[in-house]
Amino acid sequence: MSFKKSLLTAFSASVMLVTASSAVAASTLNVYTYDSFASDWGPGPKIKTKFEAQCDCTLNYVTLDSSVGILSRVQLEGSSSSADVVLGLDLNVMEAAKKTGLLAEHAVDTSKVNVAGGWSGKYFVPFDQGYFAFIYNSETMAQPPKSLKEVIENENLRVIYQDPRTSTPGLGLLLWMKSVYGDNADQAWEKLASHTVTVTKGWYDGYSLFLKGEADVVLSYTTSPAYHVVAEGETKYKAAPASEGFYPQVEVAAMLKNAPNKELANEFMSFILTAEFQNTVATGNWMLPVIDDVDELPEIFGQLEQPTKVLILPADEVARHRKAWINEWLDATTR
Amino acid sequence: MKLFVRSYWLAFGGLLSYLVVGLAAFVSLLAYSSPVEWLGYLQEPYLWRLIRFSFLQALLSAVISIAIAVPVASCLYHRHFWGRRFLLNLFAISMVIPAIIAILGIVMVYGRNGVLSDVADIFGLYGLFGILLAHVFFNMPLAVRLILQVYQMIPDAQWRLASQFSFGRWYAFQIIEWHYIRKALPGAFVLIFMLCFSSFAVVLSLGGGPKSSTLEVAIYQALRFDFDIAKASFLSLLQIIICSSIAWCVYRYSPALAQDISVIEGQKSDLKGGKVSMCIDVAACLLALLLMVPPFLAIFIPVLSSLFWETLHDDALWRALLVSLKIALPSALLSLLIGLSVVVLARASLLSTHYSKWSLRLEQMGNFVLMVPSIVLATGLFLILRKLGIGFDYTFWVVVWVNAVMALPFVIRSIAPVFYQYEKRYHFLYRSLGIKGRHRFVLEWPYTRSALAQGMAYALVLSLGDMGVVALFGSQDLLSLPLYLFQLIGSYRVEQGACVAIVLLLLCLICFYLTNRIVGGKIARI
Repeated sequence: MSFKKSLLTAFSASVMLVTASSAVAASTLNVYTYDSFASDWGPGPKIKTKFEAQCDCTLNYVTLDSSVGILSRVQLEGSSSSADVVLGLDLNVMEAAKKTGLLAEHAVDTSKVNVAGGWSGKYFVPFDQGYFAFIYNSETMAQPPKSLKEVIENENLRVIYQDPRTSTPGLGLLLWMKSVYGDNADQAWEKLASHTVTVTKGWYDGYSLFLKGEADVVLSYTTSPAYHVVAEGETKYKAAPASEGFYPQVEVAAMLKNAPNKELANEFMSFILTAEFQNTVATGNWMLPVIDDVDELPEIFGQLEQPTKVLILPADEVARHRKAWINEWLDATTR
Repeated sequence: MKLFVRSYWLAFGGLLSYLVVGLAAFVSLLAYSSPVEWLGYLQEPYLWRLIRFSFLQALLSAVISIAIAVPVASCLYHRHFWGRRFLLNLFAISMVIPAIIAILGIVMVYGRNGVLSDVADIFGLYGLFGILLAHVFFNMPLAVRLILQVYQMIPDAQWRLASQFSFGRWYAFQIIEWHYIRKALPGAFVLIFMLCFSSFAVVLSLGGGPKSSTLEVAIYQALRFDFDIAKASFLSLLQIIICSSIAWCVYRYSPALAQDISVIEGQKSDLKGGKVSMCIDVAACLLALLLMVPPFLAIFIPVLSSLFWETLHDDALWRALLVSLKIALPSALLSLLIGLSVVVLARASLLSTHYSKWSLRLEQMGNFVLMVPSIVLATGLFLILRKLGIGFDYTFWVVVWVNAVMALPFVIRSIAPVFYQYEKRYHFLYRSLGIKGRHRFVLEWPYTRSALAQGMAYALVLSLGDMGVVALFGSQDLLSLPLYLFQLIGSYRVEQGACVAIVLLLLCLICFYLTNRIVGGKIARI
């Protein structure tokens, strides 16, 4: 074989390889999500099996450390991103995500969606929901707080919450406080600071410290007790009620404008609102489904704290004031 | 100069692979920032409070760690007691414990339900006290090991003389040991100061509120929540300026050191020990043990539970362990090679007439990487890769490289002293015989291998314990052991996470021991 010939063969072989690999890529759906969603005990693996059974494709998770991590990775990649769908953004970063100009509108019918505050908008599909709440140990606390005010004002209560600069639950509390206290939020923060044990970087730091007995209450979700009951048979952890109302967390998914695989992405976005997907949410992600038509949840979910009222601030207002409100929190708690 | 470059081209290559990539990553970030906005950032009052607090806690952490480490190192050098070697190995891994695990360990000892909760009640665990406790826990052992390293350079003859003149321990410390120890102190101080200055999870968790937080938090916030590259790069620049000014001051005002042309060490002669020295030794060791052992015990308690053994049966655990090794081995090797390049160049300029200042500068370059948060470094790298059109295809190599350069300061600290000493001793002999390059390395290998082994072992365990850039930028097939741990505690499985932490620590211990044994040979003494 002459040199030229072998060069030609090598070239055609590599062309064939490239086309072959792009043929494989055509049926792969890349979903960017956070790590605990895609972990073995999260809902990710079940959803993968179910979706792959109906789409004749491969669902590939790319996992990041947090909800905000997903967004920054997509921003970092810009238009060259290989993501088709981002799954796991939070209500409060939706506006920022939209502003990046990287998202595409979806064609999913969201009329079945039943989330706090209703659902509209063409960019996001919600996939689970829950409410922020303070968790306490009912064995050591006979008289738990009955409202957010009682958490803030009881100076004997040792509180742990998360930093709104680094974690989404922390940001949730910031908005919860704002919607309950309005312009007096800074005084409330100052009062809370006097009996705060510590403010942690992320959810798990704070929750682990709470489980070791370092605080009376910790900021988490109304659904947290369900984990302890279902997975550990432990009934002592409970969520404190809030007479002013709870602040919701809704987790959403969106499609990318430059998605390599638009059709599959659309198919997956519709799949999110099917019972098959929604059935995995409660005991996989320990959050509540967003449609009514699902299998019956384990008994404990019926006994969880239900909101008497749902507090929710408009997304654009949150986006506009987030920095100012964080600064207000900083000023008040470092005074 | 030309000749110099030619005879050290390989070392220059190693240095450049670090400097060029690192600088390019940082510059690609800075390109997004506009200096006009910098003044605006500087006017935020909170920023100055942050800097003040970062500085204060880092200074105290470094000073306390070193103050405890000096007597402990002296005691560990002179006295050989049961379990000493195990203690030293344990010391080597203290800094790779994932922050959350160390925090839980400390809380189980000093926390509300802890064994020593009364101690913490005096000061209040959450606040400066808690931060210092954790930082000393992480860094005092590091200081001990760095100081013990210079003990190896004390020649045999000096101990023999001291023994013949029947010096007491204290007298020998003043006359002999201090002379060597103080060489290690500026380096150790700068290293620990920088590690604490950029500490993040510890400061937030044990700090008790936003009053205690560091510049690193602001960088994280800017990059993650706001994706404000301009602000993040400015803040990192600020961190670099502050840290390098500190380093400059430390080196500038630390006493000038006389050069030793000493003979090779051999057997150590025992010194006369008095009652006072015995008391000091016991007190120092007790303090160190009291600081280190209870949190370690707390971390290892889950071994007794059945959950630990169930965790061992988990396939995902072993897969993650393999991934960790797959990342850590190449990055340790790379780190050692880059570190060796830096040290060889620094050594070459040490005794040269024109470039002697460069030896310290080169050593300093190795520290540079500690001032830049790894998230910033990785963001910069990915921005470059994106411009090159490569994107995230090379995530594995980015992780390997970032881990390698992150360990560089430790590698350089470990191997520089012994290389310098041999340069000082045999510089003229090598020159007159024309021995250089590979031949010189082979000739010196028996004497340098234990230091090289320690450097590589550090790089290995640091890389094993790092959760770093993989977590921040995501990947489907790089689920390392620390990431697996974070997945577990991120979905309520705190107890199981604690079990994985034990596996991680055991892995680090084994790797540390094996590297020192295999690369270092039998003479590896610490």
